[in-house]
Amino acid sequence: MSYGAALLLLLGGASAMLALSAPVGAAFLAINIIGALQFLGGDAGLSQLVRNMVASVANFTLTPIPLFLAMGEILFHTGVAFRAIEAVERLIQKVPGRLSVVAIVAGTVFSAISGSTIATTALLGTLLLPEMLKRGYEPKMAMGPIIAIGGVDMLIPPSALTVLLGSLASISVSDLLIAGTAPGLVMSVIFVAYILIRAALNPKLAPSDEFVPVHGWERFRPFIIYVVPLVTIFIVVIGSMTAGWATPTESAALGTAATMLVCLAYRSLTWAQLIKSLRGTVAISGAIFFIIIGATTFAQILTFSGATSGVLEWVIGLNLSASALIIGMMVILLILGCFIDQVSMMLITLPFFMPMVHKLGIDEIWFGVLFLICMQFGLLTPPFGLLLFTMKGVAPPHITFNQVAASAMPYLGLGTLVLILVYLWPPFVTWLPAAMGK
Amino acid sequence: MKAIQRAFQRLYDVFALIGVAVVGLMLAVICADVVLRNLTNIGIEQSSEIAEYCLYVIALMTAPWLLSQSQHIRIDALVAAVPYPVAWVMEFIADLIGLGVCSTLVWYGAKVTLASQAGHSLVIKSMIFPEWWLFAPLPLAMFLTAVEFLFRAIRLITGERRAGATTANIA
Repeated sequence: MSYGAALLLLLGGASAMLALSAPVGAAFLAINIIGALQFLGGDAGLSQLVRNMVASVANFTLTPIPLFLAMGEILFHTGVAFRAIEAVERLIQKVPGRLSVVAIVAGTVFSAISGSTIATTALLGTLLLPEMLKRGYEPKMAMGPIIAIGGVDMLIPPSALTVLLGSLASISVSDLLIAGTAPGLVMSVIFVAYILIRAALNPKLAPSDEFVPVHGWERFRPFIIYVVPLVTIFIVVIGSMTAGWATPTESAALGTAATMLVCLAYRSLTWAQLIKSLRGTVAISGAIFFIIIGATTFAQILTFSGATSGVLEWVIGLNLSASALIIGMMVILLILGCFIDQVSMMLITLPFFMPMVHKLGIDEIWFGVLFLICMQFGLLTPPFGLLLFTMKGVAPPHITFNQVAASAMPYLGLGTLVLILVYLWPPFVTWLPAAMGK
Repeated sequence: MKAIQRAFQRLYDVFALIGVAVVGLMLAVICADVVLRNLTNIGIEQSSEIAEYCLYVIALMTAPWLLSQSQHIRIDALVAAVPYPVAWVMEFIADLIGLGVCSTLVWYGAKVTLASQAGHSLVIKSMIFPEWWLFAPLPLAMFLTAVEFLFRAIRLITGERRAGATTANIA
């Protein structure tokens, strides 16, 4: 079978089954079964498929996924995260678009202790959005910052999706986690600057609220009590990793334990809340793992069928520069991001992208961050941006999906500036992992 | 039929609770290993391997439960956009595909398990145990997932489930 026909069978078949709305994991497994029959020797191939299913998910590098997710779930269900946001709100006073700025700052803090973009968006949307709308904020000014900072959560460690990308693409998970920090923080700063300028130029977008300024110790007290201790969670995750006490994978467990201890110290963690948090964790992790079960064999079958090498040779034959290829890959990711979820994006593209990255000698960490930013945009782009749906879910009924989607657009534009910056200046993301590795 | 579905649902819920317990176990073992290793130089050698099997157990235990809750990731863009009768047919085919996939994996999962048992194969890493222990849960989990795919198709036929309902997603 020619590589074109193999490609059509494997990718075309997977796409058809995904379009039918079959669960992504089941769709890939179905194609794996067809592929095993066609390319892996039939009966023997199907037995190998079963063996691969076990090996694909029993993989220590995937351990942080449930653990990072658990951190966000625990902080959310215990209410500790809500108190932290209120503390940040008290700290930020007398700035144009105050509550939008609060959303970005609080979201950045929460990103550093949670590995789930949904948790961050749902948390901020639940707590801040009703208040902003009540105080007369223009809906786009109210929702945009929350959706945008929810996406940034994917870049700032801990991040479950970064771990998954590192694991599937065989890129150092710890380096990738650390590399995402700089673009994530720069995006936060740019978002704040944008809000300040917009609100200053047009105060109607974010009317100054009736917030009674609090002075002295009362202003800083909630921050010190409810936010500063949370920083210890971030320090435990990053510190244990960089100090060499724990591997990146193990640091996720320490971070989760630290989260539980912090919540216990606040007397906020009950048995029921813990079970609820872990149930939520298991649900999201299980859904991701079910897809991963089909991932390894799919990539293997693509290679065995000759599709991967065929595509690679075809692309190399085009004599495009490495820069043009990377731009092409990013465009593909941006288009896919409009229609499919982040895990499926990785599964479909990585078997083709990573051999090209290796062949062209492209820095894996740099490429990984570009990949992450493109996936982050996929969370915000209509018609199927996940965070748009999350926001629609927590917004009042009169807010339309179009309003939600429109609110994210300016932040997509600003994010694109950071994407260009990362593309043009790789040391922006590679220096920190290199410095910490010394 | 409803009584059977309820019984299976209870079973899935128990599996989900096992998944919760497994996350707790994984957390406890890794933390204990790191603390002991750094304080006493003697860690829990098997901790990485235990964590790996925990991930495998989570994946299998939650598969039928997530399906029953419509929480598996799926791309429902097209099914939500087409007229209802078309969406119904698409979802029905998707359920049949799921049923076929899981049934195949039950068969081959059982085959690999039995072959491993007959060959007295061992897993020799930091722990040593018969390899078939590792494979045995797979056909069981796939059987339950196949049953749930069947229930979904039946619920679609009887009108208890509407095609095109939005499902969960991940990030």
